[in-house]
Amino acid sequence: MKDINIVIEICGSAGEGTISAGEILSRFMSSQGFEIMSFDSYPAEIRGFGKCVAHTRISSDLIYSPGKLADVLIALNDNHAISQLSSLKENGMLIYDSQPPKPHKEDKSVVGWAKPGMISYGIPLNMLAHKAAGSARGMNMVALGALAALFHVNKQGFTDSIKTRYSKKKQIVIDSNVNSFLEGYNWTKENIKKIDSYSFEGIKLSQKKEKLIITGNQLVAQAALDANLTFYAGYPITPATKIMEILSKELPKHGGTLLQTEDEIAAIGAVIGAGYGGKRAMTATSGPGFALMTEFTGLSVMAEVPAVIINSQRAGPSTGMPTKTEQSDFNSAIFGGTGDCPRIVLAPSDTKSCYEATVLALYLAEKYQTLVVVLLDFFLSNSIKNIEIPQKPSPEYLKANIAPNIDDLKDYQRYKLTENGISPRAIPGTPGGIFFSTGLEHNEYGRPDYSQSCHLKMTQKRFKKFNSVLFEAPKPEISGTGKSEFDIGVISWGSSAGAAHEAVMSAQKQGINASSFSSMMVSPFPKKALIEFSNKCKKILIPELNFSGQFAKFATSILKRPVEKLNFITGRPMASEDILQKIRDM
Amino acid sequence: MPDIDHYIIIGNGPAGNHAAITLRKKDEDARITIISDECVPFYYKPRLTDFIADKTDKKDLIVRSVESYKEKDIRIRMGQKVTQIHLDSKSIFLQHMEKINYTKLIIASGSRARILPTMTAYAPYLNFITSYTDVMEYKKKIQEANKIFIFGGDLVGFKFLKTLVAMGKEVTIMIDPNAFWPFNLNNNMLDKIFSSLSKLNVSVIIKDAISTIEKHENFFSVKTRKGIEKTVDMVFSLNGLTPNIEFAKGSGIDYDRGILVNEYLKTNVNSIYACGSCAQIYNPSIKSYTTSIGWPNAVSQGEVSALNLLGDHKVIKAAGRKYFDLEGVKIKTTWWEDIDDES
Repeated sequence: MKDINIVIEICGSAGEGTISAGEILSRFMSSQGFEIMSFDSYPAEIRGFGKCVAHTRISSDLIYSPGKLADVLIALNDNHAISQLSSLKENGMLIYDSQPPKPHKEDKSVVGWAKPGMISYGIPLNMLAHKAAGSARGMNMVALGALAALFHVNKQGFTDSIKTRYSKKKQIVIDSNVNSFLEGYNWTKENIKKIDSYSFEGIKLSQKKEKLIITGNQLVAQAALDANLTFYAGYPITPATKIMEILSKELPKHGGTLLQTEDEIAAIGAVIGAGYGGKRAMTATSGPGFALMTEFTGLSVMAEVPAVIINSQRAGPSTGMPTKTEQSDFNSAIFGGTGDCPRIVLAPSDTKSCYEATVLALYLAEKYQTLVVVLLDFFLSNSIKNIEIPQKPSPEYLKANIAPNIDDLKDYQRYKLTENGISPRAIPGTPGGIFFSTGLEHNEYGRPDYSQSCHLKMTQKRFKKFNSVLFEAPKPEISGTGKSEFDIGVISWGSSAGAAHEAVMSAQKQGINASSFSSMMVSPFPKKALIEFSNKCKKILIPELNFSGQFAKFATSILKRPVEKLNFITGRPMASEDILQKIRDM
Repeated sequence: MPDIDHYIIIGNGPAGNHAAITLRKKDEDARITIISDECVPFYYKPRLTDFIADKTDKKDLIVRSVESYKEKDIRIRMGQKVTQIHLDSKSIFLQHMEKINYTKLIIASGSRARILPTMTAYAPYLNFITSYTDVMEYKKKIQEANKIFIFGGDLVGFKFLKTLVAMGKEVTIMIDPNAFWPFNLNNNMLDKIFSSLSKLNVSVIIKDAISTIEKHENFFSVKTRKGIEKTVDMVFSLNGLTPNIEFAKGSGIDYDRGILVNEYLKTNVNSIYACGSCAQIYNPSIKSYTTSIGWPNAVSQGEVSALNLLGDHKVIKAAGRKYFDLEGVKIKTTWWEDIDDES
C-alpha cells in the first residue's frame, strides 16, 4: 500500500467552470476517503473574463496547509495558464487542450512554455466537449475525465459526484456534464501513453468517517446559528459576503433577523443596538468595512455591550486586493480605535476552528459584555476542507449573560465595580433594571462622570474583565511538548498556523529539533504560555502574511528577545514549504 | 522581418544540440529554439536499455541539463511536436496548434522505429526502444514479464537482448536480415550471429518470418511461417530506424527516405538545413544520397549545418567508416564506398 500527497490546479477563465470542476474534484476525493484542502483564486471584478484557479491538495494523510506548488496543472485557458505555470513543480504534469478552435500565436500556448522536465498531456478538450454536448462548456468535465483516466480513479464514483453536483439542474445539464466527463475519460484511456507515476490505485487510507466538506465562511454561519445568533446586520464585502448570504436564508428559519444596512457603520451600530437589547448579534466584514466599524467599536467597549465582528482579512490597505489573502489587520483588530479600548480578538487557525471561534466569540461577548473580533482571512473564509462534523456547543455557551439578582435590582448599578470587573447586565425591560448607557465615561449607574477617579476606576474595570478571559480560551497549541528544549520554535497565528505546524512536523522528520506554538486567542494574549515556550527555544521564527511583521512586533514586545521574521504578501496562503526552508536556513 | 534572427532546430538529439550550441557560439544575439517531441532534455539513447533494467536512473540518461540551455540562452520546447512547415510564411505549426515564425530552420528530427510493411497490422501489439517515451510506457511491465519475443534485432536490439537475459527473462529473437537498414545482413553474417547468440541461452530464429501475432488476455502467441509458435508476455519490434520527417512532407522541402540535402547540408530551400539521421546527404563523388547514423556523425553534421546556416560554406566531411561489433560481425555506420576507415 502506498501514500499520496498531490496538488492539482485547474486554471481557466471566469465562466469556464474552473471553480465547479475544482469543487467536484474535492468532493469526489473526499468521498473516496482522502483528506482534501482546496481554495479558489478568482478576479475581484464581477464581470469580465479574469483568471480563475481551483487549487486542491489531496492526501492520504492529514493536511494542514494547501501546498505551495502544484503537481498537476489543468489548463482550460492557455492565456491564463501560462502565468500559472510558475506555480507548477519543475517535474509537474500539464494537461492542456490539444485542439483549440484556432491556432495559437507564438508563445500564446501554455504547452509552448512547458517547464523542463514536466510531462504534458494534450487532450482535445474543446473538441471532445463539442462532441459530448455540442459546446465548449463541458471542457472542464472533459479535463476531469482525462484526469480520472490518467490517475486510475473510480470512474463510476466520479460520475456520481458530477450528478450530485448538478442534481438541482435540468437533466440535460446533468447528461451534458456526465457525457463530457466520459468523453475525456475514454479518449484519454485510448490515446494517451501514460508516462507519469501518479495513481490513486491502491492508496492506503485511514478509516472513512462521515465528513463535512465546507468552507470557513460556511462554518462561521453554521456556528452562529448553533450558538443562538438572533440578529445579524451587515453590508456585503468580499471575502465575508458568504456568511451574510447563508444567514439571510437560514437565520429567519431559526427565528432570527438579518438586516442589510446601507454601510458598515450602520451595520455595527445595529449590532450594538441589538446587543444592548439582549440579542446575540454579530456582523461580518473585511478590512475596509472594519475600518468604518472602528468608529463604533469603542461604544461596545465603553457601554459594555456585546458585539461580535467577523473580519475576514484581505490584502490591504484600503480596498486593496479583495480576492487575495493576507494577515494584515492584526494591529487594527487589536489596537484599532480610540482610547484605551480593550477587546477580545480570536484568530482561528483552520477551517474547523472557525466554528469553535464563532461559538466562543458569541459566548465571550455576552459574558464579558464587550467587543469580540474574529480574524479570518480570505483563505480561511473560502478554502474548502473536509472535516469531521463539529460538536454543537454545550448549553453553557448558549446563554452566558450574567443577569442582576433581586438584590442588585434594588439599587441597580449597570456598571457596578465587581471583583472580576463584570457587572450584572439587565436586559432592557427588566423590572428595576433601568440604566443609562452612553459612549461617555460614566459612573456605576451609567451617568456621565468625567472625574479623574471615575475614569481611572472604570478604565481599570474594563481591563480587569479580561483577566479571566484567558481561562475560557482554548489552550495554545504546542507541538513536541515532551521535550524541554528546542533548537527552533515557530510561533504563528491565524491561518499561518497550519502551515507552521506542518513545516515543524516535516522538520522533525528531517531530524531538526523544532516545535510550534499558536493561540486562537490573540487578545488578550496568553503571555505566560508564550514566554514559557520561548524559554525552551534557542531561536524563534514568526511567519505571517503581512509586510511589516505585525504579530512579530507584538510578540517581541512580550518576549523581549530577537526573533526571525518570515513575511509574505503574495496574496496566497502561507506555504509550509517556505517555513520549512526558513527553518533549515536558521 | 523580425529585429533579430530566430533559429529553430527541430530535434533534440546530438545533431540538433550541437547545431544549437554552434549557433550560439557564432551568434550571441539570435533567438535559438530547440523543439523536441519528448518530455526529457537531451538524453543518451544507448543507455535506454540499462534504464529499462534499472541499472541507470533518469539522471544518468541526461546528456545536457536544462540549466545549461538557460545559461546559453537557448529555449528548449519539450513535449512539442512539429506537424507542418509553411515555407511561404516561414513558420512551423506545432501539434498543440501553435504557430512559430523562424528566420532559419535546421531539421534534426532523427529517426523513429521502423515497422516492416508486413507487420503494420500488428503495430498495436509491438513495443519499441527508440525513445524515452516508449520506454516509460512499458518499463514496469517489462520488469514483470517473463517471456519476451524480439523481432528484427538491429543494433539496439542486441544490447537489449543481453539486458533481458541478465534480467532473467526468457528471450526469443527472430533475426531479420533487413533490421539493420540501410545495411542488410547476408547469410554468413546471420549464421555467425546465430552461433554467438545461442551461447547466451537465447532462443534464436533465423531465415524465418512472422506469420501471425495473436493477442490474448494476458499474453501473445507468435507463430512463424516455418511453424514455430511462442507464447510470450511482450513482443518487441527492433527493425532499425526510419527518418522522422512526416511534418516536412508536402511543405515543398525535397525528401526521399530522409530530407534531401546537398553536401553543405542545405535543403532545396535556402533557409532550411537538415542533419543527423533524418537527412539524406548528397555525395558528389558517388553522385548519390546517403544516410549516416551514429553519434559522431550526428555531432559533426549538426555543427556543419549550423555554420553553413550562418553563411559559411563547409562541406560535410564524410565521417570515417566506423564499425559496430555485432556478435562478431562488423557493421559499418557509413557506407560510402570511397571513404577511408577511421584510424
